[in-house]
Amino acid sequence: MLASHHRVGRGVGVLFAVLTLALAACGSSTPGGSTASSSLLIGVIAPFTGPDAALGPAYFAACLPAARAINNAGGVMGHKVSCQEFDTRGEPADAVPAAQQMVASHSNLMAVVGCTSDEASSVVPILDQAHIPMFCMTGQSEFNKTNFTYFHRLVPPDAFDAFALVGSALYHFNYKKIALVFGNDIGSQAFVGPAMTALQHLGATVTINQAIALGQPSYRTEVTAMLATHPDAIFTEALGPTDATYMAEVKQLNNGVMLPFMGTSATIDPVWFSAVTGAIGVQTVVDKFTAVDLGVSFSGPGYTEFKTNLDASVSQFPSASKYSQRGATLHLYDGIIQAALAMDETKSIDPTVYNTVIKDVGNGVTGAVTVNTYAAGVAAIKNGQKVRWVGAGGLTNYNQYNNSQQGYILVRYDATGNEIKFGALTPTQTATIIAAGGG
Amino acid sequence: MTYYLTTVLVYAAVDILACLAISLQFGVSGIVNFSFIIFQAAGAYTAAVLSLPRDTANGGFQTYILGLNLSFPLPWIAATLVGALLAPPIGLVVLRRLRSDYQAIAMLVLSVIASLVVTNTPAFLDGAAGLSLVPQPLSDKFNPYSDGYLWAYTAGALVLAVVVFFIAQRIINSPYGRSLRALRENEVAAKALGKNAVALKMTVFVVGGAIAGLSGAILVGFITTWAPSTWLYPETLILFAAVIVGGRGNNFGAVLGALLVPVGFEEATRYLPPFGPPGLIPALEWVCIGGLILGFIWFRPRGVLPERRRVFAARPQPVAAGEPSAGRD
Amino acid sequence: MSLIVAAFGFGLVSMSIIAISAVGFTMQFGITNMINLAYGQVMIASAYAAYAVNNAGVSIWLSLPVGAIFGAVFSFLLNRLVYAPFQRKGTNLIGMVIISLAVSLVIANVMLPIVGYYSVSYHQNAGTTYHLGSIALTAEQILIIVLAVVVMLVIYALLRFTRLGKAMRATAANPTLARNCGIPTARVVDLAWLITGALCGLAGTVAGMNSDSFSVASGSEFLIPIIAASILGGAGSPYGAMIGAVLIGEMTEISAAIISPEYKQVVAFAVLVLVMVLRPQGLLAKRGALAAAG
Repeated sequence: MLASHHRVGRGVGVLFAVLTLALAACGSSTPGGSTASSSLLIGVIAPFTGPDAALGPAYFAACLPAARAINNAGGVMGHKVSCQEFDTRGEPADAVPAAQQMVASHSNLMAVVGCTSDEASSVVPILDQAHIPMFCMTGQSEFNKTNFTYFHRLVPPDAFDAFALVGSALYHFNYKKIALVFGNDIGSQAFVGPAMTALQHLGATVTINQAIALGQPSYRTEVTAMLATHPDAIFTEALGPTDATYMAEVKQLNNGVMLPFMGTSATIDPVWFSAVTGAIGVQTVVDKFTAVDLGVSFSGPGYTEFKTNLDASVSQFPSASKYSQRGATLHLYDGIIQAALAMDETKSIDPTVYNTVIKDVGNGVTGAVTVNTYAAGVAAIKNGQKVRWVGAGGLTNYNQYNNSQQGYILVRYDATGNEIKFGALTPTQTATIIAAGGG
Repeated sequence: MTYYLTTVLVYAAVDILACLAISLQFGVSGIVNFSFIIFQAAGAYTAAVLSLPRDTANGGFQTYILGLNLSFPLPWIAATLVGALLAPPIGLVVLRRLRSDYQAIAMLVLSVIASLVVTNTPAFLDGAAGLSLVPQPLSDKFNPYSDGYLWAYTAGALVLAVVVFFIAQRIINSPYGRSLRALRENEVAAKALGKNAVALKMTVFVVGGAIAGLSGAILVGFITTWAPSTWLYPETLILFAAVIVGGRGNNFGAVLGALLVPVGFEEATRYLPPFGPPGLIPALEWVCIGGLILGFIWFRPRGVLPERRRVFAARPQPVAAGEPSAGRD
Repeated sequence: MSLIVAAFGFGLVSMSIIAISAVGFTMQFGITNMINLAYGQVMIASAYAAYAVNNAGVSIWLSLPVGAIFGAVFSFLLNRLVYAPFQRKGTNLIGMVIISLAVSLVIANVMLPIVGYYSVSYHQNAGTTYHLGSIALTAEQILIIVLAVVVMLVIYALLRFTRLGKAMRATAANPTLARNCGIPTARVVDLAWLITGALCGLAGTVAGMNSDSFSVASGSEFLIPIIAASILGGAGSPYGAMIGAVLIGEMTEISAAIISPEYKQVVAFAVLVLVMVLRPQGLLAKRGALAAAG
């Protein structure tokens, strides 16, 4: 062996030693510097970098007010609660080590929020195996009848967003010809099938179905093709700058006149609002855009508690207040509080004990008292009562697969980006559309 | 902890296989295969569609071709074969008298095309949503969530990595390997000596493709899901960075690079302490990864474990037949 | 049919933007042998620089030069502080590609916390839309096309008629010989990066104007068409890049009209691969890099 090999070998050895030590040193510290017995962690597992980087912060904004509300009332049986982000980088292969590392390095995980369609298929089994209650944002239909007992979903599957859009277009606006313009990513394409089926069965026409690549610099050819089919309205969800680019070009190519366009619940989001109003102007969005959103009222004591704590979290996350009307943020906040109350009720920090109680806290059991703030919940539990949580997102009704949804409302934006409800679908209308869509 | 450890080890095995393949193609033969990720993706998709039941199963939420529900090890063997079979057509496109950087870019564009085609043809491999609920090998006989299964899987993956390592060593240290290196150092001279450049390069391209296909099968069998977002073109570049950081042209360098870059850098940065608004730390993780790559190449431009220079001492005088030469190899 | 004509019109704008950026990219390759994968990120950073000024109240047309200057300075520093030192150390071609990738990772992820994940739009007025048959272009788009033509002419004049241009062509063809002939290659390289950086910044800002909305992630979207156009025309040849831009720009839009929007990029790239198979050095490249004009 040459001497140079010895040198190299030594160098490599030193390198490895340093790396291992660094890993061990960093890996052994839990956030907050406290030991597992004195604090609990809520993991936010979602994309924080990559094309879907806007999603992670929205869910982080759900964790902060929840943690604040919990800690202000003394924590969960004396344990303080904190939030930590875990970046999945927007794809399943990177999400797996992220989820595993999260579970391995933090034995004090009490709940996890996030898990979007980008990574849910790979992450949910991991979390279920690790017995971590999770509140996921994925609308994928594979989770409609899931066997994962730790999985909870407080948002409807994507198909229902599509049905709500159809209902809004047909029953409220009497549109007959619809153009479908959805991004060709996982999350957005899920709406196309249900929307087309429902529209066609109810006698409307789909004039064109465009799957557009996200983030392209220009869609003018696509817009021209779409305009040539003369739709009454456009259904859309295409995140990032995509909708902004596309709609601006619609306005330009239609002689400055914007077509009515209608978005899914994901378009009720401050990032989307900012992008689209920047491109086509606030007034156009106010006048021509409607959406469907989860049936939240943005009022009531539960919402007030959420909003107060959200605004107070600005010190940790400057943009937090912008998410005060983001459906996902509200629902994940509710999920976390439900988990905390379940822990209080069962007097346990062992997920195998309290996971099944989360459903009861959400749906309410006979004799349960309704509470809207965490503090009230703790007090009621101390009195020996069971609680039902009705928080920022309103009523929860978990079915046997831990899927919960309320109805949809029809909304538009006002000039400051707040959501204004202008209508709702009746149960009969909803049932008709679901039947037509095969959902 | 078991889960994270087995995850890291399986990922290490997969990355080692990938880096060995790249090292053979690039390090030894000088082929810059920037379309590498296509081969791994093809292997993963093959293993997936062969292991999955028909696409009407599980509620029919995904559409894909085949769905033959074959059991292990057929999907993995098929994946390796598909990786090998993809090599000739792609190779014929680019393995000609192109400059290495043109070649590289042409292959990069190929991987972009592949990604676009798969994403926009949902009937083929379920488009952007990708394939999920892929059955794991032998999951009908054993519980895939048990510690025993996970460790067995890890052991299997590592064994495959070791086997491929030895195969790669044999290739490098064989006359075939010498021909490849000759081709890389001075193609004109090698051809003048009668070496068939195209055949030699194509062979190593096929071998690399097969290894890549196998690595894809191992990965998809572990994470049970596979989507276009997993195999975008930057993935190839991260693996190339690994080979360059570790040391091109030698298999120890490839292994080291695999452990350092995709495993080491990407995993160690997850341990950065949390501070600041959400999204800051994840962005900084990537800054660290980029910085580490730059740092390693700066301080050790030929890689941490550079290729052994094979020097043949000049013969002082003619030697009788049968006497060994003075060179090492 | 009218859709195809309309697509042709839009292709004129696409090609203009790709042309400005591809010429810069290919000249970086020709003169310094550098496939600069960070080019897209520098484009988007320059677009944000122009946005910072534009957001403060300056007209977009006055913010354009700000974007160009930012791109020039950024690219110059990038070469001086990162690429050139690595090249002096003897890093090989592919090593430099990997380095440019690492740089692009760093730039993108340093920008992300600074500018955020929101998409932004310039405050601009696209002007009236002019119609010529089925072709519909706004005043702003027409100005962009004119700008691209002007830039191409300036580059042509630079390369053909100025001493600097001749020095650049000599350095690209054979740096050692050029140095031996007394050409200050180091200074030529510096100037080359300033000029191509300005093209990069200009292209980024113009792309932001044309797309009405952009974010940090848009940077990586720019890169592939630029590379495709450069290689199609013959790497290192600015005139080749112009032709490549025309082809890529038009093929993208027209295939969106004829086939479908999903495959618009696939067709363009497939043509690139076809060209590489049939004529590997690209359409215009002679051996080496910048060819003589004409």
